[in-house]
Amino acid sequence: MGFEKFLFYVLAATLIAAAGMVVTRRNPVHAVLFLVVAFFSSAMLWMLLEAEFLAISLVLVYVGAVLVLFLFVIMMLDVDIATLKAQFIRHLPLALVVGVIMLVEIFLVVGPGNFGGESFPNPAPQGPDYNNTRELGLLLYSSYLYPFEIAAVILLVAIVAAIRLTLRHRPDTKYLDPSKQVYVRKGPDRVQLIRVPPEPRRVPPTATPTSGVEDEA
Amino acid sequence: MLDNYLPILIFMIIGLLVGGGAMVAGFVLGERRPDHQKNSPYECGFEAFETARLKFDVRYYLVAILFIIFDLEIAFLFPWAVALDGLGMVGFLAMVIFLAILVVGFVYEWKKGALEWE
Repeated sequence: MGFEKFLFYVLAATLIAAAGMVVTRRNPVHAVLFLVVAFFSSAMLWMLLEAEFLAISLVLVYVGAVLVLFLFVIMMLDVDIATLKAQFIRHLPLALVVGVIMLVEIFLVVGPGNFGGESFPNPAPQGPDYNNTRELGLLLYSSYLYPFEIAAVILLVAIVAAIRLTLRHRPDTKYLDPSKQVYVRKGPDRVQLIRVPPEPRRVPPTATPTSGVEDEA
Repeated sequence: MLDNYLPILIFMIIGLLVGGGAMVAGFVLGERRPDHQKNSPYECGFEAFETARLKFDVRYYLVAILFIIFDLEIAFLFPWAVALDGLGMVGFLAMVIFLAILVVGFVYEWKKGALEWE
């Protein structure tokens, strides 16, 4: 138990430090990379709670997809670093007050008073063949069926919204649709040989005007 | 159960040590005399013509969003696949409905031409 506790404190400290770096770094790409560190540490914390599937899905979905989207947005928007720096210092006292109030409120609600060891004792560590994925599946698709289907509808809304907002057709590209290309058949309309009569031969005029010889063409 | 993951943790720590160690060794052993020209970005010897940020095409963003949606669909498929023998017909039909809803989105995306690059 001692090593797990030590590992928990190391991971929690890494998570808090990385989260602090996310909001204070000037370069937005550095901030996103610190967010990657924060997600990895929280994934390892979930692994300590024996939620192995959720930890891996945190890495796959959050780091692999959501942070890629973050990086795309940072690359797309031309972020003016200087104005952001000035605004940060200006708003820092109010931000600190709001942050401290939020922290105190979170601690009062979710802290050891309500969610401490007396009301929620630690679950017993499972055996070596505990399958978190299977337990999650057995619970999710039987008791929580309706929220699961609502998740499908939310994903559908996301697909439709993303396509509607970002898809635009470029009218000036000459793109051949492959599904129409396969309809080309060997027939009279595919290749046409046109007999062009040869042009009559023309004698070119002579070059130098001082030669004295005139061409009678 | 956590003992199964101890080799992974050791692997990660050694990876961090090797990677970080190489960078620290370079930092400690090398000399640092920064110069304005040494620190500026290299553009074949000229001064930088323009900012390195190019106009970014929004098609990449659409591809990333569609990837994340179908990645979440796969993340829902994994526990279902592992637990299917304990779920019975109800669980199977639940996933069929989920996949049918997402197939509607897939057909919409296909027909709209979001899967074509041009």
